[in-house]
Amino acid sequence: MLTVEHLSKHYDDTVAVDDLSFEVKSGVVTGFLGPNGSGKSTTMRVILGLDRPTKGRATINGLTYQELKSPLRTVGALLDAKAVHPGRTARNHLRALAASNQISVTRVDEVLEFAGITSVANKKVGDFSLGMSQRLGIAGAMLGDPEVLLFDEPVNGLDPEGIRWIRDFFRSLANEGRTVFVSSHLMSEMAVSADQIIVIGRGKFITQGSVDALTATAKGTVFVRASDHEGLITLLRAHQGVVHEINDGGLNVAGLTSDEIGQIAFRSGITVLELTPQRASLEEVFMDLTADSVEYGGTTLETGSRA
Amino acid sequence: MAAPLLKPVLVHSDVTFLSTTKSEWIKFRTVRSTTLGSIVFTVLTIGLGVLITSLIHAHWNDMEPIRKLTFDPVSTSLGGTVLAQFAVGVIGSLFITSEYTSGAIRNTLSAVPRRGQLVLAKLAVLTVSMIVISEIVCIAAFLIGQQIYAGMIPASTDSLSNGADLRSVLLGGVYLTLLAMLGFGIGLVLRQSTSTISTFTAAVLVIPLIIFFLPQSLQNAISKYEPSALGRAMMSVTPPDQMFGPWTATILLTVYVVVIVGFGTLIFQRRDA
Repeated sequence: MLTVEHLSKHYDDTVAVDDLSFEVKSGVVTGFLGPNGSGKSTTMRVILGLDRPTKGRATINGLTYQELKSPLRTVGALLDAKAVHPGRTARNHLRALAASNQISVTRVDEVLEFAGITSVANKKVGDFSLGMSQRLGIAGAMLGDPEVLLFDEPVNGLDPEGIRWIRDFFRSLANEGRTVFVSSHLMSEMAVSADQIIVIGRGKFITQGSVDALTATAKGTVFVRASDHEGLITLLRAHQGVVHEINDGGLNVAGLTSDEIGQIAFRSGITVLELTPQRASLEEVFMDLTADSVEYGGTTLETGSRA
Repeated sequence: MAAPLLKPVLVHSDVTFLSTTKSEWIKFRTVRSTTLGSIVFTVLTIGLGVLITSLIHAHWNDMEPIRKLTFDPVSTSLGGTVLAQFAVGVIGSLFITSEYTSGAIRNTLSAVPRRGQLVLAKLAVLTVSMIVISEIVCIAAFLIGQQIYAGMIPASTDSLSNGADLRSVLLGGVYLTLLAMLGFGIGLVLRQSTSTISTFTAAVLVIPLIIFFLPQSLQNAISKYEPSALGRAMMSVTPPDQMFGPWTATILLTVYVVVIVGFGTLIFQRRDA
């Protein structure tokens, strides 16, 4: 189990991670979600003992990374696939990693085979595509048969087949009872590959829960089709409803439940022809949750006419 | 590809100094900077040695009596080290800075989180491999040089069975090894290949040039402290009066290396990777 307790990390005057606490359990795939620059990579670097926390700590089964006797056998990580000496061959890179933790050369060949890069094992890593580097990173993470696995944005650079492969891979790792912690800035990716999701924004904890629970708690909208749209819009707005008129002859209403909308229409004698609650997609939930915490949000340019 | 299901790794054993050293040895010898650097180093030391000794041999009869009197057949045969010292500096520097250039340091540190142990292992690999290759190269340059001097008048009587000669040749190898470690130490502090190699070059080449322009009295007082002067003292059979003795020079250069590597290790343990 992976535990992060009151973790803060400051770089000079920027706060990358701010009093972050969460637990990642074994046996499930946990997504670590947040916009770019929200502190996901920093958190992972602190977990791996690469960066020193300003406050708080991260532990693996109660031990900090530095305290692990055989780190590669406990934690496998893929942070940056390109962070390998470009002049070394894939096999030599893995052999050096394996030797440090007293892992056999046989295992090196096994993980090369597993990641599907045996044919390029003696090629220099500098000539690898991003997808091949990702596979090499996965091979490296699996060297020590670790119980905890960390992946930072693993689907970047993978082709569709590779993405499907990596999802199946995460799933089977979790099924084997391992702790799988995967960061992404793509909600849609996490919706299909993770069971549990931890959402952060600007280094702060936002929410944690299952994919289903997160969508359920989100404020959905209600689709209404009625006999008098003009009249209904006025009434709904008077009741703090947010109305978006949509094309196929109906209104999309936020801020009011379907029950409330039905009551309002009934009291004014407007016939409701259709009333359908719309579940928010996970993508919308994410946008909603992190709207205030997007580090580099774009602004809309005024396109006024020039006199 | 189907579901993973790799065979589990059953044996459990820890990260030790020995296993880290083994890993670093694989890393050291599997990159071109080491192999190419070693070839350049060997060719420069022996090749320049041959060139210098042959030129001296050819011009011996035209040389002024004073030059003949102060002629040192040992250190002239090791003259190639003047250029070769940059090759060993580069090998030492890149052994650590290439980890930062590529970002591989993060992989390295996740495999070996105890940073002090990592530095020691790297130093062990660097020191042992550099001392072996440097001694072989220096002995070879010496023997070839004496062979070339053999027909000269007065014939060279220097050989490795002469205590002072043997000391000069062996300390030549020690000097080059210490310079590789110095490059490593600077790399540990600066992390970038270009700034590390420039700083190393400045320490070995530029500082003597600056000292050269100082008043004579000041020159005499400080020039003996700069690394290449210490190297010359280590390699000469009878060092000139204004230089340190060979053993003092060895100790002083070792102190430089210990201070820089020690400082580098200290900040390496503290900063983010």
